[in-house]
Amino acid sequence: MRYLAPGSLKEALDILRREDDARCIAGGATLVAMMNADLVAVDVLVGLGRIAELSGITETDDEVRIGAMTRHAEIAASPVLTGALGVVRSAAGQIAHPAVRNMGTIGGSICHADPAADFPAALLAADATIEAASAEGTRQIPIGEFFEDYFETALREGEIVTAIRLPRGPAGARGHHVKFSRVDGDYATVSVSAVLVMAGATCSYARIALGSSGPVPIRVTAAEEALVGSPLDQAAIAEAARLLAEAADPVDDVRGTTEYRLMLIPRLLARALNTLKDGETASV
Amino acid sequence: MSPEGVTSPNPVGDAIGKSVPRLEAREKLTGQAVYTDDMTLPGMLHAAMLGAPYAHARIRSIDTSEAEALEGVRAVVTAEDLPKKKYVGVFLKDQMTFAGDKVRYISEPIAAVAADTLEIARKALQLIEVEYEELPAVFDPEEALEADAPILHENRDEYPCPYERPEHPNAVAYTQFKEGDIDNAWAECDVIVEGVYETPAQEHMYMEPCSTLVAVDANGKITIWSSMQSVFRVQTMIAEAFDMPMSKVRVIAPRIGGGFGGKCDLTNQPATVALALKSGRPVKMTLSREDDMMMMKSRHAGKIYCRTGARKDGTLVAREMRLFLDGGAYADESPEVSTVAAFFGRGPYRIPHVNVESWSVYTNKLRASAFRGFGNPQATFASERQIDEVAEKLGMDPIDLRIKNALQSGDKWLGGQTVEGGSLAECLEKARAASDWDKRRQNNGKEVRPGKRRGICVSGMSHISGMLSAGAAVRLHEDGTVTVNTGAVDIGEGADTVMAQICAGALGLSLDQVNYGNPDTDSSPYNFQTSASRVTYMVGKAVEQASERVREQMFRHAGEMLECAEDDLELRPGGVIGIRGVGDAAVPFAAIAGRSLYASGGPIMGTHNWLFEGERFDPKRALVRGFALDGIGVFTFGAHVVEVDVDMATGKTEVLEAWCAHDVGRALNPGAVDGQIHGAFAQGLGYGLYEELVWDDGRLVNPTMMDYKVPGPLDLPYKIHPILIENPSDGPFGAKGIGEIALVGTAPAICNAITAATGAAINRIPATPERVLRAILAAEGGS
Ligand SMILES: Cc1cc2nc3c(=O)[nH]c(=O)nc-3n(C[C@H](O)[C@H](O)[C@H](O)COP(=O)(O)OP(=O)(O)OC[C@H]3O[C@@H](n4cnc5c(N)ncnc54)[C@H](O)[C@@H]3O)c2cc1C
Repeated sequence: MRYLAPGSLKEALDILRREDDARCIAGGATLVAMMNADLVAVDVLVGLGRIAELSGITETDDEVRIGAMTRHAEIAASPVLTGALGVVRSAAGQIAHPAVRNMGTIGGSICHADPAADFPAALLAADATIEAASAEGTRQIPIGEFFEDYFETALREGEIVTAIRLPRGPAGARGHHVKFSRVDGDYATVSVSAVLVMAGATCSYARIALGSSGPVPIRVTAAEEALVGSPLDQAAIAEAARLLAEAADPVDDVRGTTEYRLMLIPRLLARALNTLKDGETASV
Repeated sequence: MSPEGVTSPNPVGDAIGKSVPRLEAREKLTGQAVYTDDMTLPGMLHAAMLGAPYAHARIRSIDTSEAEALEGVRAVVTAEDLPKKKYVGVFLKDQMTFAGDKVRYISEPIAAVAADTLEIARKALQLIEVEYEELPAVFDPEEALEADAPILHENRDEYPCPYERPEHPNAVAYTQFKEGDIDNAWAECDVIVEGVYETPAQEHMYMEPCSTLVAVDANGKITIWSSMQSVFRVQTMIAEAFDMPMSKVRVIAPRIGGGFGGKCDLTNQPATVALALKSGRPVKMTLSREDDMMMMKSRHAGKIYCRTGARKDGTLVAREMRLFLDGGAYADESPEVSTVAAFFGRGPYRIPHVNVESWSVYTNKLRASAFRGFGNPQATFASERQIDEVAEKLGMDPIDLRIKNALQSGDKWLGGQTVEGGSLAECLEKARAASDWDKRRQNNGKEVRPGKRRGICVSGMSHISGMLSAGAAVRLHEDGTVTVNTGAVDIGEGADTVMAQICAGALGLSLDQVNYGNPDTDSSPYNFQTSASRVTYMVGKAVEQASERVREQMFRHAGEMLECAEDDLELRPGGVIGIRGVGDAAVPFAAIAGRSLYASGGPIMGTHNWLFEGERFDPKRALVRGFALDGIGVFTFGAHVVEVDVDMATGKTEVLEAWCAHDVGRALNPGAVDGQIHGAFAQGLGYGLYEELVWDDGRLVNPTMMDYKVPGPLDLPYKIHPILIENPSDGPFGAKGIGEIALVGTAPAICNAITAATGAAINRIPATPERVLRAILAAEGGS
């Protein structure tokens, strides 16, 4: 195995085009564990750590841009991720434990596309766009099209995720991620990401995504419609939860039975919405 | 009075009762501690084992030729390479190093490879061709006891076995204790509670996976360094498995990263020895976490049928318990585990009418073995849940009910042994006071934090400390310092430090003046095992008395040197003997040592060896049938009060605070005692809330730390309050063991608190959020 550490994106993309069995390594939290367990064999490892342009959080008037190599810990502490984007910040702070949060990157997380991870649902709720570069150029992938199946994404061979772009979201929006796990630091049994706008006592905007509830994060527009215009009373939440649960297809494993995960969906949805309704933004 | 009739001296100096840091703290904190896997010998090979893919299958053939042909492979071993029909085991000897004619659980080792690198060894395993004929398998102990169940060991009756075998060929051992008149007792009861309780197969999850290094010298003598709980057990069993004299087997303990019972007997030592013998080279084998989890051992899963009856005034009258313990594919320590479970079936209470029956049973799963508490946690879970239910039905305070029925000194244990130091009531009172029980109990069922219900409750507990034999040797060096040798392997619990403290306290030395030697079968006095909460009590007593022998010899010299009667002498702190009341009349140990070596008497060395010989069962009092061990140790008592919040939306339990009162006889090192209580509480919390090996058709589905969850720092309450009670026992300076007991009652205390919070009955552990939520919904009459 060879390890290469290009200093620029262009160089990295060249390596990916040139080498047959090359693979990016970001934080390495997942990839190295998989290599140790003989689950993947890699000929050429392309370290992305030295590419400055892939790191950090920047903002413009209408969006926040998170470089693919930005660590979870930095995202969890970012003062820029407020309002609707609180959902992403809240999710980052609940990933694993500090050691993993200091190591793992948002790019690595979404490229790995583990449906039990926290970012996929949070980014879906935040309506993110994934920016990917290849030797041919750069393209923008809407988050709804990025995750394709268990551990599969729309990324093509030779492509590198460079950034996650987050629109500011509607005025007055607040976001929150509710994660349920067996023990602290475990992957979610079920997670709910929500972004809301309340106009007085009435919900005027809702964007909800479920994590750990199927091969990809789940969003159901009808469920959001059931919430919008309501005071987020029990009936509205129950209807939204019913629609979401209908679309969910959770696995049955040691983190929870399918049935339990389905029981959790309305309960965690209510928790997420009530937290946001009461005005507490994600404190993590 | 000690069972062997020796009392403790008064400690001299300040070594006893002080929370001195671990002798090996510096070495561990700086990463210099040497564990087996850190060791390398010239020419050393690396090894790995191949596990079986079927839960139950006949082995038709094994072809290792391709593996042997792989470049870098130095030896491949299978059952063919070991002495035939040399079964090993603790009581029932049914185990071979590698599966011979049959495999009986998925991942049972069938072959091992030693190669130049671990990668080559692993690759070679894939080249071993095995032909199997699959057989029907059985995974549930009760099903395994049915008449037409698949039989795991057709030849069970050929295995050496010192007790009467139960009738069913899948039954490893059976124990019954019967006292009073159980059949007529129920009529006397005003309230009877009845239930079925289930407890999980818990993984030992020691930090250091099993690891062994073996070298064979030119004369064929084998030296083994291994992660283990006893150098002497490994020596005995290796000699047995390889049909060689123990004089040709030397076992040395490096640092050990935890055991919890999983390393009490053989682990991967025989496979590594076989490879070293065949290759003629040193061989090291360290299991991966996954192999360790799939190939080694676990706690016995249990299903417990229990019934308890009481009078209106809270007097317990009758107890019936039937335990089915899942022993997995081989006996290992199953016979002791099922007998100890039965022994604790009544619990530490005066119940006149009792019938307890306990089975350990073969199934096609990972073998179950010793594990902190040894069958007691299973029995105590059922027992303490029921005591709580009785209290609930009678409207009594659960602590009052327990105190009313608590065994007192002089009472008889189930079977007839006399209870000394019966301090359960005191433990309960202390835990009650410390936890502000009456005030906090008013919150039971209340929503103190939004969405959560608060509950506080209790569990009583008891265990034994002792078992079998131990020795110690203390040698006086020329400069007046000493070396202590014992066979007690410190598996991380800190016994080395406590043994050194005992010697220092007995001789008035500072810890700097005491060297604690490493266990080595070539030179250490015998010790059975680091198990059964026995090292402080058993080995500590030996160290205390061996030190006394040294003192006696030194007093003889000092009397002559100071020209006084030995009775007038005293030990003074720092290694000095003086005349009582005469300040400057003194001789240092160094002067005595010099005199003994060069002028008079010869080298000074004290030894002490003993066997715990407790009271036997009383046949007039109790009917005892099947396999039962008596006189195994002194009793220990404790009580835990635990406060929880239960999330009513998800069913998740958060343990908020715990008060753990334990009678430790005397806390030789209070910090170390606190550590044992904290650790046992944490492991008990894992047992009660998270930990469970899960099989699907014989395949372990969670053999990784990703899938099998142990509690992490944030899952534990910050406030675990050890409350130490010191009623001196006959142990060293009054001490007795604390290693296991604090685990025993933790899960029931937590589950009792969940019930107090929610009204839901939690009779199956781990009390996962899903189980708790379902129990809450069932209690609410919903779905
Ligand atoms: C013990 C543990 C617990 C965890 N718990 C959680 C949890 O609770 N919630 C959660 O969400 N996650 C969890 N994770 C996952 C973790 O947070 C990281 O998201 C994950 O490890 C991937 O990030 P990484 O930077 O380490 O990626 P790497 O391991 O370096 O790479 C992962 C994959 O992504 C590819 N890749 C990486 N970056 C790029 C890129 N820019 N473009 C293209 N491909 C790329 C790599 O080739 C590789 O295939 C846990 C991980 C561990 C080890």
